[in-house]
Amino acid sequence: MSKTFDRFASIAFLLIGLLFVIESRSISVSSYGSSVGPNIFPMALGTILILLSIKLLFETTKYKSEDGSKEPLQYMKFIIIFVSAAVYAAVLEPLGYVISTFIFLLIAFQTMERGKWIQTIIIAAVFSFGVYYFFAEFLGGSLPGFPEF
Amino acid sequence: MSTIDFLLNGFAVAFQWQNILFAFVGVVIGTAVGVLPGIGPMSGVALLIPVTATLTSGLPTEAAAASSIILLAGVYYGAMYGGSTTSILLNTPGESSSVVTTLDGYQMAKQGRAGAALSIAAIGSFAAGIVSLIGLVLLAEPLSNVAIKFGPAEYFSLMLLGLCAVSGLAGKSMTKALIMTVFGLLLGTIGIDAVSGIARFTYDMPILYSGLEFLTIAVGLFALGEVFKTILERDKEDGAIAKIDRVLPTKQDLKDSAVPIVRGSLLGFFIGVLPGAGATLASFFSYIAEKKFSKHPEKFGKGAIEGVAGPESANNAASGGAMIPLLTLGIPGSGTTAILMGALIMYNIQPGPLLFDDHPEVAWGLIASMFIGNLMLLVLNMPLVKVFAKIIQTPKKYLLPIIIAISFFGVYAVQYTTFDLFLLLACGVIGYLLSKNDYPVAPLVLALVLGPMIENNMRRALTISNGDFSIFVSKPLSLAFIIVAVLWLIIPLLMKLKGRNVIVNEEE
Repeated sequence: MSKTFDRFASIAFLLIGLLFVIESRSISVSSYGSSVGPNIFPMALGTILILLSIKLLFETTKYKSEDGSKEPLQYMKFIIIFVSAAVYAAVLEPLGYVISTFIFLLIAFQTMERGKWIQTIIIAAVFSFGVYYFFAEFLGGSLPGFPEF
Repeated sequence: MSTIDFLLNGFAVAFQWQNILFAFVGVVIGTAVGVLPGIGPMSGVALLIPVTATLTSGLPTEAAAASSIILLAGVYYGAMYGGSTTSILLNTPGESSSVVTTLDGYQMAKQGRAGAALSIAAIGSFAAGIVSLIGLVLLAEPLSNVAIKFGPAEYFSLMLLGLCAVSGLAGKSMTKALIMTVFGLLLGTIGIDAVSGIARFTYDMPILYSGLEFLTIAVGLFALGEVFKTILERDKEDGAIAKIDRVLPTKQDLKDSAVPIVRGSLLGFFIGVLPGAGATLASFFSYIAEKKFSKHPEKFGKGAIEGVAGPESANNAASGGAMIPLLTLGIPGSGTTAILMGALIMYNIQPGPLLFDDHPEVAWGLIASMFIGNLMLLVLNMPLVKVFAKIIQTPKKYLLPIIIAISFFGVYAVQYTTFDLFLLLACGVIGYLLSKNDYPVAPLVLALVLGPMIENNMRRALTISNGDFSIFVSKPLSLAFIIVAVLWLIIPLLMKLKGRNVIVNEEE
């Protein structure tokens, strides 16, 4: 259990609860016959969340300090893959499914482990083309097609 | 029409060629998903929902719903079978319900009895599947009849019970589990309120009017969360796979396992029926029970076949039992059943007591195909065990990006918006952070699904009682559920205070 993370998290949840409570006040109270309007539920939940976050904050003060036996995280790989996934999401519609998936898989495979370009290209191509033709053409699903040139 | 007539009709549905094909595909994918560490039944089912939607888009709604749910349910119990393979061969549980199998199963593998362990696990799982199906058939009608008398107050309290049960036993800290639950409920309020039509928390963004899609969040939190975790943390090299010599168990093995299988099945079934308790809890309980009942408790942990037979039967029986509250009451009892329920709702089939009246083909078709699926799994497992052992050796470098690509494909095929893809990525990061720091994700998913239902029922009940909150405690059934819900929360707290170890219910 990470003390710093839990502290962070409890404050974050506190703020989220607060946000929901404040926003609920601006939701219309009218309830069309029922005595409970649409603002009651979020407000009650937000309040409970605030209370629970405070309790969590209290609990973090009781944590024993952790031993620093954390394994080094491979940040670089993750960031590259994450950014390329975000770009993949952004270009999916403009560039079409096959092209964007192919590029994403290329980058991801190479990031995970360099080398073996031929295998990488083949597998990425098989996957992108395979899924597209199988679902879009054969089964009649709907995926972004090729861009107009 | 009597139950038997319905069941025969169900078999008629299940024997249609496309449903047999779907059942087969489902159990194969399910076993593969269970074998691969990192993807559990929840991610597998979540990933496949959009795929099944596309596959069945040509059929009329009812037939499509029946076929999809047959496939998804096949994935669910197929994963229970598959999970034991890695536990026995690699000492790595494929998912949390197979953790207990590693204790004795891996020991048996080291002694060269891997084949026997695997087949006993398969046989036990099959027997358990049959037991849970018989229970399902017997209990479905009576439970639905009782459930029809439920009013909104009872539904509210029962769903509250389900949420409290999942939170009370999830993870090491109940505070964190409760926070996750409340957060999930809050996320469910985003969108246009169903009762009054007023937009909540949408900030004039039209894309939020229908709320955050449950499927995106589920796939992001589970599948992508696991993928990011594996990418970030360098996994230790897997140990050498134990060799599989004889595949068939000896007569002595069969004799030793018979009683544990029966015990495990019954125990697992009843635990599965309880909302909130699932396969993981069932396998733990079964292991403890087998140890207590055994004449040679010191054999446990060193390769006792009872330690494999009991828990494996229990976790399969529990997954069958978990379908009961889903089908008869419309209340999902665990993360995976919540996802199954999401799939049903997508087809406009409302699970609950009226399911058996309005859509009997879906309900009985599903039950009948579970019989067929279990049979398929038993037949498949023996010869295919070696094939599945090969799958475990798929290099991670190819597997992980393909899982990301499948998640993208799956979510986009259903939602058609780029917003959901970004939400998917965000949930992946959040899922990684949460699971790494011991925040259980299953309550969040369950709360997201149950939230709107809980709120609607609460408001309906209050409308009936004219704003009087005591309606929830004045109706006897509702009061009973609320008391049990409070007990689920308080008892683990008390036990922790006393210092006893509380069994932890990870998502399964």
